[in-house]
Amino acid sequence: MKTTTFLSFTLTTVLSFAAQAKPLSYVGGTMVMQENDETGHTLSLDYTFTPTEAFGLYIKQEENGKQILMLTPEFNTLLKRWNLPDGQGNIFNMTGAGLAHYRDNNQPCLWTAFLADYESRRWFFSYEPRFVWDGDIEKSVWQRARIGVAPYLANYNDLNTWLMLQVDHHPAKQDHFVVTPLIRFFYKTYLFEVGYSSNQHIMVNWQIQF
Amino acid sequence: MQKHLITIIILFGLTAAISADTIKATVNGMVCGFCATGIEKTFRAQPEVKSVNVDLENKLVTIETKQGRTLDDTRIKKLLGNAGYSVVAVARQK
Repeated sequence: MKTTTFLSFTLTTVLSFAAQAKPLSYVGGTMVMQENDETGHTLSLDYTFTPTEAFGLYIKQEENGKQILMLTPEFNTLLKRWNLPDGQGNIFNMTGAGLAHYRDNNQPCLWTAFLADYESRRWFFSYEPRFVWDGDIEKSVWQRARIGVAPYLANYNDLNTWLMLQVDHHPAKQDHFVVTPLIRFFYKTYLFEVGYSSNQHIMVNWQIQF
Repeated sequence: MQKHLITIIILFGLTAAISADTIKATVNGMVCGFCATGIEKTFRAQPEVKSVNVDLENKLVTIETKQGRTLDDTRIKKLLGNAGYSVVAVARQK
């Protein structure tokens, strides 16, 4: 089995987490997230150590373009939160610096992203621009937006269901604009998403908090 | 008569001291299961707390303390603040 295929398989089946959910939990909480979509496979494992800061590990195997493997420590910061009677708004920054690997070439890499979201029990909106510098391998900017609606209002002990639409714009990839309708299931601290993108890739994301 | 009065006062004091509190905090920003879990775990880690329940629909966190133990409002606001939420009001029942 090729190394890349093995890495992708491992990331997909064993690691999986980063589902466009919040990059922080509560103080002392650990969060594992994985995202598998048309951009590749992402894993992040974060520990929240203050109300506004989390530290973790970020691994991404990119696809649909250069197959770059990134491995970086990750630092997530809550820059601003609005607690409203019927919702919550946030602005986060996520930043990592580490190594990028592409065709036997290792380069230092750096990435940073901002995530703005608003969520009520009925509606969800998010926007995330991301800037990636993989040394001599690639420099890229991409952005992602999401809108979601809950068809019914669920309480904590119920299964939450969300219907969502995700739009990605990544000029460095083969498909610049990708639209992905998806369905999100959420039960207590378990989140699972599945979708199908306009460039015919299956999306499977999951997240666990403990 | 004075002896009886002292006994009553002592008994009343003891009853108050060993009773538990039911605290209802109205909280802004609670919208999802992850919010609820964070709040539950935060309060369950406190030695004074017997049980905690999060009601997303009514924006209520209900905390029941152990017999003879309590949590003051400042601490409740701090714990909920550290979990990422804003307290609007705190109501208590003995």
